[in-house]
Amino acid sequence: MQHNAEVPLALAARAVTKRFPGVVANDQVNFDLAHGEVHTLLGENGAGKSTLASVLCGLYRPEAGQVVRDGKEIRLNSPRDGLTHGIAMVHQHFRLVDRFTVAENVVLGHKSLSFVLATAEIEAKVAAITEKFGLPLDPRAVVGELSAGERQRVEIVKALYQGAEILLLDEPTALLAPPEVEKLFTTVRAMTHAGKSVVFVSHKLAEVVDISDRITVMRGGKVTGSVRRGEADVRRLAELMVGREINIVARRAKSPVGDVLLSASQVHLERDGTAMLTDINLEVRGGEIVGVAGVAGNGQRDLAEVIAGLRTPQQGNVTVCGVPTAGSGARGARRAGLAYVPEDRLGTGLAPSMSIRDNLVLTRERGFLVDRKSALLEAETFIKQLEIKTPGPLTPTRKLSGGNAQKVLLARELFALSGARVLVVCSPTRGLDVGAVETVHALLDEARDAGKAILLVSEDLDEVMTLADRVLVLYRGRITLERSGADTNVERVGRAMAGLAT
Amino acid sequence: MMLLGRRIQVEQRMAVPKSAVVIVPVVSVIFALVVGGVFLALTGHPPIRTYLDLLNNGYTSFYGITDTLGLATPLICTGLAAAFAFRMNLYSIGQEGQMYLGMIGGTWAGIVLADSLPPLIAVPSVLVFGALAGAAWIAVPALLRARLGTSEIVSTLLLNYVALNLVNFFIFGSTGFFRDPTTSFPQGRAVAESARLSPLSLFTEKVTNTYPTLFVAVSLAVLLFWFMRVSNYGYETAVYADSPNTARYAGMNSAWLQSSVLLVSGALAGVGGAMYVVGPAGKVDPGLLQVGLGYAGIVVAALARYNFLAVVLAAVLFAGLRTGGNALQVSNDPVPIAIAVVLQGAVLLFALGGELFRRNKVTLVRVQSATT
Repeated sequence: MQHNAEVPLALAARAVTKRFPGVVANDQVNFDLAHGEVHTLLGENGAGKSTLASVLCGLYRPEAGQVVRDGKEIRLNSPRDGLTHGIAMVHQHFRLVDRFTVAENVVLGHKSLSFVLATAEIEAKVAAITEKFGLPLDPRAVVGELSAGERQRVEIVKALYQGAEILLLDEPTALLAPPEVEKLFTTVRAMTHAGKSVVFVSHKLAEVVDISDRITVMRGGKVTGSVRRGEADVRRLAELMVGREINIVARRAKSPVGDVLLSASQVHLERDGTAMLTDINLEVRGGEIVGVAGVAGNGQRDLAEVIAGLRTPQQGNVTVCGVPTAGSGARGARRAGLAYVPEDRLGTGLAPSMSIRDNLVLTRERGFLVDRKSALLEAETFIKQLEIKTPGPLTPTRKLSGGNAQKVLLARELFALSGARVLVVCSPTRGLDVGAVETVHALLDEARDAGKAILLVSEDLDEVMTLADRVLVLYRGRITLERSGADTNVERVGRAMAGLAT
Repeated sequence: MMLLGRRIQVEQRMAVPKSAVVIVPVVSVIFALVVGGVFLALTGHPPIRTYLDLLNNGYTSFYGITDTLGLATPLICTGLAAAFAFRMNLYSIGQEGQMYLGMIGGTWAGIVLADSLPPLIAVPSVLVFGALAGAAWIAVPALLRARLGTSEIVSTLLLNYVALNLVNFFIFGSTGFFRDPTTSFPQGRAVAESARLSPLSLFTEKVTNTYPTLFVAVSLAVLLFWFMRVSNYGYETAVYADSPNTARYAGMNSAWLQSSVLLVSGALAGVGGAMYVVGPAGKVDPGLLQVGLGYAGIVVAALARYNFLAVVLAAVLFAGLRTGGNALQVSNDPVPIAIAVVLQGAVLLFALGGELFRRNKVTLVRVQSATT
């Protein structure tokens, strides 16, 4: 502790400006962090919050402004410089070696390593840290076999092992299931109790309100507001983030539902001798959204892939617009009138290095030559209509933000295939910010009103409850609950997701 | 890396500036010449004069450029073969062996079929059979790759040695079909005259080492460049190369894409070998084994960054270094072959290393003491 009454701030940014070609990611940003504080940086994707965190940890060098640590200006040329000042960042995408153990990963890159690793000593030290901060981990476990939540713990332990006093957590909850988020929050509290400070970077409004002592909101590279614990009002924060009023309301079918366009009956799928799906029966009618809820890994992906024709079930039938499609492949299902938006946008739904234009022809019937002329016109139309933020139709999709990439994918699957009347959509808003979520939901709603049959598979229960006319719960490859969206409640669905009797 | 209290910082460029596309290769070549010049000076050869000799013997003199273009002709084919496979992330390094098989297959056609055919059909049929033989040589690795996921790197490489021994067997180890029956001297049986092309005369009386197959090789490059850009096949291979999951999602047949790309790659290398038959050799000639044009094709493809049109330029550059380097050995002030190879290596290393500067911004940063 300091002698003087006024304790200097643990870390501060003073008028930091960081430019990237074509964009000012941070424009004269001020930010400060007290000792033992959790200060959240909140903002939509592309607001500049990760950039600021990267400046604070030494990954980026700002064009202007200062970084101040304990009242003194410091210059950081690399994350290693940051570490010498006790500043460490836990990145959204983990930087771990899969084949190494937890302990080996923790000491990887550490400056003072002996020639022969003192494994026992390191493991003991790692175990001590995991205990102190409530990070359950086996130091000898191989990282490749750990869940996303456990890997994140390894990153945090690594930062603590290296002596970090200030931790910058970049979108730490993006990959975590709700119980894991709770565990993370426990750890964060343990760290602040021990006098450490935490910068929490997030775009998820609801969860940061609990954990933060202060919340600073960024938009377009600038700070738009800052609130203390207790003053935080979700609606007000959302407005600061998006810059306009938003309302997420339940959307239900307006028109009476039509004919059955998609059906699966007695579908049974095995993979490597394990039953992934058992006795699946479902029907989706034109003009309705059927939501499939469930905790990750309960067969959602297999269900979507069976319906999309990517997997052939051992038993059972799938019909799309009256045509049996089981076993006819992705192209067969598409010809019957099915469109599919997979969960993994950039790695599966889109070819990341290819342009928006070229991605639009991906699920089309193509002749000997590819018709890029009409695809270009289509791309330009979509960019205008859906307000896709991009330099142009020839920009590679990996350069788009998550929300804009999703708009390209949805546009292609919803509109480009004129014949598609059945839509399978998986976690369409995962990782998207508030504004983009709203757009995606509106698009799905519009497609429903146009009479399409939509199967919405999502791990985000709120999303399912907001959009679906009927809700199914998938648990261990079986449908364990089926209710209409209006007359079921979150608790009941939650219990079914956890495998409890309803 | 520390350098006089400064640190070299490498940052990825968000967008590659247009100027870097021109400046980086030029500076790379200059650096290569400087490094090569040091070696020349150390071995007592005046660098500038040696370079002018190299330039003259490799590119600017009449015989220099025609020798270079002649050597570049099959090299363009093996370069295209490598680039075609590498674009799909299929790292076939079997161009050398497929080229030998192209020579064998082309010669077979030249002996058996060509006799009764006019040159207008005989020459293409030699090339086609060369292509088929090259494709056949990669068929097993292609199937293993597509069906079982076996590494094509190992399987194609090993088949190079089999192909090499096959050629040696036909000429030195046996007196079979491909051996010249008119002499006991171990050499190949000549193909029919109608299966041969005469070298280009280029409106002079001089005899060159450039054959009209050069135009075939360049046309192949242009055709591939165009076809892969506009066709559905080019589109599907590009999607697969970018993201196999996306290709699966879109319902593409990955086994077909992988095996067909490898087969075409083998065929291209085979055409290179057949060009050697209709051009300078006219038979199964073990001389091809000494040149390493298949392996050089890999370097050419890398140098061209897998761009089919750039393969032509890279092949000419590479062939010129070869012919120029060879000529230096027999000049008045002979430069040892080792130095000529160092020069080639330096040019290639710096050209590839220049890639770092094209993709990244490299700056020197003053290092502050860690605690202030």
